[in-house]
Amino acid sequence: MSGKGMRLTGTALAGLGLLGMLLVYSLSFFWVSTELSQGVAQRIFYVHVPAAWTTFLAFGIAAFTSGMYLWLRDERLDRAALAAAEGGMIFATIMLTTGPLWGKIAWGTYWTWDPRLTSTLLMWFIFLGYFMVRNSTENPEKGKRFAAVVAIVGALDIPFIHLSVVWFRSLHPDPIVLKPDRPSLPADMLIVLLTSVLSFTMIFLGLFLLRYALETLRAGQQARAREATA
Amino acid sequence: MSAYLGQIGAIAWKDLLLELRTRERVVAMGAFAVLAAVLFNYSIDRTVVRPQDIGAGLIWMTIVFGGLLGVGRTFHLEAEDGALQGVLMSPVPKDAIFLGKTLSNFVLLYIVSLLVVAVFMLFFGMELGTSPPMLALALALGALGFVALGTLFAAVSSGTRMGETLLPILLFPLLIPVIVFGAGATGRLLSGRPVSEVVGNIRMLAAFALMAVAAGSVLFRFVVED
Amino acid sequence: MAPESASPPSATTTPALEACGIVREYGPVIAVAGIDLSLERGEFLTVFGPNGAGKSSLLGLLSGALRPTRGDVFINGTRLDFGAVDWRHDVGVLSHQGFLYAQLTVQENLRFYGRLYGLTDLDSRIPERLAEVSLADRSNSRVGQLSHGMRQRLALARALLHDPDVVLLDEPYTGLDPSAAAVLRGVLTGLKDGRRTVVMVTHNIGEGIALASQVAIQVRGRFAWQGSRADVEAVDFERLYHRVVEGRA
Repeated sequence: MSGKGMRLTGTALAGLGLLGMLLVYSLSFFWVSTELSQGVAQRIFYVHVPAAWTTFLAFGIAAFTSGMYLWLRDERLDRAALAAAEGGMIFATIMLTTGPLWGKIAWGTYWTWDPRLTSTLLMWFIFLGYFMVRNSTENPEKGKRFAAVVAIVGALDIPFIHLSVVWFRSLHPDPIVLKPDRPSLPADMLIVLLTSVLSFTMIFLGLFLLRYALETLRAGQQARAREATA
Repeated sequence: MSAYLGQIGAIAWKDLLLELRTRERVVAMGAFAVLAAVLFNYSIDRTVVRPQDIGAGLIWMTIVFGGLLGVGRTFHLEAEDGALQGVLMSPVPKDAIFLGKTLSNFVLLYIVSLLVVAVFMLFFGMELGTSPPMLALALALGALGFVALGTLFAAVSSGTRMGETLLPILLFPLLIPVIVFGAGATGRLLSGRPVSEVVGNIRMLAAFALMAVAAGSVLFRFVVED
Repeated sequence: MAPESASPPSATTTPALEACGIVREYGPVIAVAGIDLSLERGEFLTVFGPNGAGKSSLLGLLSGALRPTRGDVFINGTRLDFGAVDWRHDVGVLSHQGFLYAQLTVQENLRFYGRLYGLTDLDSRIPERLAEVSLADRSNSRVGQLSHGMRQRLALARALLHDPDVVLLDEPYTGLDPSAAAVLRGVLTGLKDGRRTVVMVTHNIGEGIALASQVAIQVRGRFAWQGSRADVEAVDFERLYHRVVEGRA
């Protein structure tokens, strides 16, 4: 896909995703049924679960492309990892800022060590490490390799982190806890949830393509500048 | 295979020999352990909380912070005269270098962690609990996981402008499982719970340590190449 | 004299050390901008050049310390593969830094490296090497207590410990007093035994030419001048050097 094609696809995807989000918001406010025990507060579920999912997806893409980058040394793979990591960090930030705010409004507490939020917080820090390491080396090539290592180890660690956070939480159950979404969901909730997941994923992929295209342009510009001085 | 193990041994032995000569890291880590326990004592109101209730967590936090001191300097030994270059240019596979360094770091940290437990028992009147061997195992597995990731990222951070200050930022999120399962197992053992209740935690610690050592072995070469 | 053009592995005899169009970039900085060289067994190449010309990077590429951005290095006809380790037995490097541990003794340092290289006859080998560099009496001294010249000699012993066929030396004469330089000269002359191939980077024109069978001047990542010993002796080398360096500056 050419640069322009990527930008067009990216914009289209992101646009579609945003429309999807509008749909999700209207559905969750006006259409979907209210959960029995938690009431209206539960509807944050339709934003938080997809946001967490998208962060995981971004992480996975970043780690996979990082691994391929270390193996094949193709700059494009590193650019993809960068784009994914940025996207992931953005979604994580959104989730981490809206989560506590919602918690305060709905239940009176900002932070309850909810496993989803906690895992996202830790992923946010791993992403932070990714960028810090990437930008703090003398030789930029080294920074890219270091960042790739951070992404890979982070991805390997995430299952452990999630298990430990969930286990810890199960020991200290909080009355104000988001109901686990494993038991069968009523059909209407499922529809809204899936629509939301789909929309979030489209927004993420759209942003990912745009960011990747931008980075490709930047790399091309740097290469031309170097040839001019050589 | 024996040549490979011999190379790992040579590197680990060299590190420990250097540590014996300079005693830099072990003194720093040991002093930290004792002082941390003292500070914790003064930071707790004993009329409100029993040290035994939070002892396991404090022990693991002390081990982690103290461990950072030690593992952060693991590549300083080689930095002085560029010795790491010399080792990298030798026929030793990069994963063997990693394993050798991890081994020596493990020995150091394990000794210090035993010291930490002893100090906390002394200062806070805690008992060894249900099963000292299990406790020793939990400490060993936790220390191994910590040290493996710590060695890998110490190599990373020493190649950056920020140096060691970057290490906690990189390591802490990744070490959550070690803290959760390690302190979880330790807390239960110290408060007299049966061994069956900690087996799950021990298994997780072992799986984590395995992941950390494997990941470090594979990825180290990408960190040290130039 | 024009720089030699690239030569593929020769059909008659395999060069001991060969580089084909090697390039080394550090991000936007180009340290080595395309160098070809081909050395037969037993040759001694001295590389001169101003600071910043990329000479250390060149040695780094030849020794396998640095991965080339482009191009390849061949040792005895085999392409240098970063993943493999066996070829490292054939290369010995003396760098700016000694690769030594200050708190360990001379013996302990050599023993450590000996074990890394899988050498089994260290009990006889180490005393031999130490004698060659006149350090036999300091075997149990801590490296931190040695003078710079002695540490340099120990570093040389370390570089040659495993009897490499290819020896790479990065400014070995720097900081040496005349007697230490004499010891070094002795050892380096001993390297010209027809078996070993040597590349030496130095600022010391006298010593550099005395030992060389080939000479090159590196400027800004390239060989601006290359020639044999005979070519060098036919001209006023110092004049030539300045002309070449300033001409390209």
